Amino acid sequence: MTKLVKSNKATRVAFAERMVEYGEINQEFVVFEADIGYSTNSYLFNEKYPQRYFQMGIAEFGMMAAAAGMASNGRPAVVAGYGVFLTMRALESVRSFICYPNLNVKLMSSHSGVTAAIDGVTHQASEDIALMSTLPNMHVFAPCDSASSRALFDVTMGTQGPVYCRLLRDAYFELYDEHTTFKCGGSNTLKMGTDITIISYSDILFQALEAADELEKSGISVEVIDAYSVKPLDWESIKASILKTGRVIVAEGHQQRNGMAYEIATRMAKDSIHAQFDNLGLDDTFAESGAYPELIEKYGMSASHIVKSANKMLALNKGHLLLEKEVMA
Amino acid sequence: MLKKTQDIASVDELYNIANELRIDILDMVYKSQSGHIGGSYSSAEIVSTLYFSEMKNLDPLNPRKENRDRFVLSKGHACPVWYASLAKLGYFEKEKLNYLRRLNSPLQGHPDMKSTPGLDMTTGSLGHGCASATGMALEGKMTDDGRRVYSILGDGEINEGAVWETALVAAKYKLDNLVFFIDKNNLQMDGTSDEIMPLLSIEDKFSSFGWHTLTIDGHDINEIQASLKTAREYKGKPTCIVANTTKGKGVSFMEDVRNWHGKAPDTKEYEAARAELTANTFNL
Repeated sequence: MTKLVKSNKATRVAFAERMVEYGEINQEFVVFEADIGYSTNSYLFNEKYPQRYFQMGIAEFGMMAAAAGMASNGRPAVVAGYGVFLTMRALESVRSFICYPNLNVKLMSSHSGVTAAIDGVTHQASEDIALMSTLPNMHVFAPCDSASSRALFDVTMGTQGPVYCRLLRDAYFELYDEHTTFKCGGSNTLKMGTDITIISYSDILFQALEAADELEKSGISVEVIDAYSVKPLDWESIKASILKTGRVIVAEGHQQRNGMAYEIATRMAKDSIHAQFDNLGLDDTFAESGAYPELIEKYGMSASHIVKSANKMLALNKGHLLLEKEVMA
Repeated sequence: MLKKTQDIASVDELYNIANELRIDILDMVYKSQSGHIGGSYSSAEIVSTLYFSEMKNLDPLNPRKENRDRFVLSKGHACPVWYASLAKLGYFEKEKLNYLRRLNSPLQGHPDMKSTPGLDMTTGSLGHGCASATGMALEGKMTDDGRRVYSILGDGEINEGAVWETALVAAKYKLDNLVFFIDKNNLQMDGTSDEIMPLLSIEDKFSSFGWHTLTIDGHDINEIQASLKTAREYKGKPTCIVANTTKGKGVSFMEDVRNWHGKAPDTKEYEAARAELTANTFNL
């Protein structure tokens, strides 16, 4: 399952391509763009359906409210843009006029997490999960490759109410095939293991898989879960895995605060699950310009950091076991 | 009293309706001891004219009827005038007006389309409603069922940048099914519009953005009706009607007084205002 093939198609491209195909299946929905159509790839939709494509200029705030007006008339609207602008510049519009009235507006958000990399902090949406997950009625999906992007486009359109779909600037690997199923509230267990659970999504999922391979070389049995449905989260599957392994690392290309790790930690506490826990992500800091691999290395989100975290956890645990044995003796 | 919603009221009836709405608004805000009278009163004639003589295919029994004309009160804080109109049209029982802003009430502090039957859009944060109205007008062009979209903006509201993003979009897409009223009462929360943020000529601004622009007395129903007719007949551009109004219009001690933006009357003020408004109602 985890045989990775180098990808040459970013999730934003796969998502847009599926959107064009879907334009035939569902002839009602429209697309809004704010002058980065050649980057989000929404221009592909314009080529086929110019009557259903609205170029709103560099004005995300007004675009979002117009999409709300469109959707209030019963016509779903996909709004394309970069994660930062959709979730931050237009945040109030998303909250008060899309989420509050629970309208069918779908945010197609490219360059999410730190994947804008060299573009610098102004273009990195490293708080998007926190902002979007916090909004009532909002759903958050995070594909990692072409097949999951295509599948999650369909899930996005089939989900009643607002959706934030987190897409990435660059192509990383192809993981899934077209037969894998994705659903709102679902997750995929990519590796089965018994010693430690690594939960991730989006770009950092590939770091989790690489870390798992590395750890397995040392005889550690790793379970890796792709929590692509960030909200609603597939807590039952995640919980079962944590109960099995007793150790969990959540790795995400996002601020540590108020990301997926915070939700999992809260749920663990509420369900009285005692397990070793660590989370990786931006540690209350902004990143900077840099190549993507350099950024995730410097800011603690790469495979090597996950391996380090796992080894530390396992060593600590050995210490506890020794202590217990001594007490028993 | 109108018998059916689609009975078109005469000009005299519309003046009376505007006055009745003012009385309902006063009662509503007095009972809840909260709400915005000043901006509701400056819009009363415009809202009356829209709902009781201009807008087509409204059906209180089917509030989401597809080809209905749409109305978006972009200056959402003036929702008492919206609620009073919808109650009068029969979208919900008038008795509900007694529960403005209360827990479990369908009448939220600022308009919520999911709570109140007949509301076409959630508004309240300034600069958004007019953009959503523009989205509705875009959709109306696609559906092409002849529906029109009306939105009332405050003159203070147009300080918001989103208004001008929207102004560009509506002109670009030649939304001649869209009408903005600017309720130009020249008062904002902190002072006069000239003090807070000089707007200079609103007409020039919208004209230069590519809009068809008109100026009227926003309390003169003949002028409101004439401007709506002109807007209906004008093709290829959205219309912006700059309506000169008086905040608090209809109650002498509230007129053009900044403090009545969001203040509830005490019993003495309530009784004085109600007596004045009741005296204004004329027999037809």
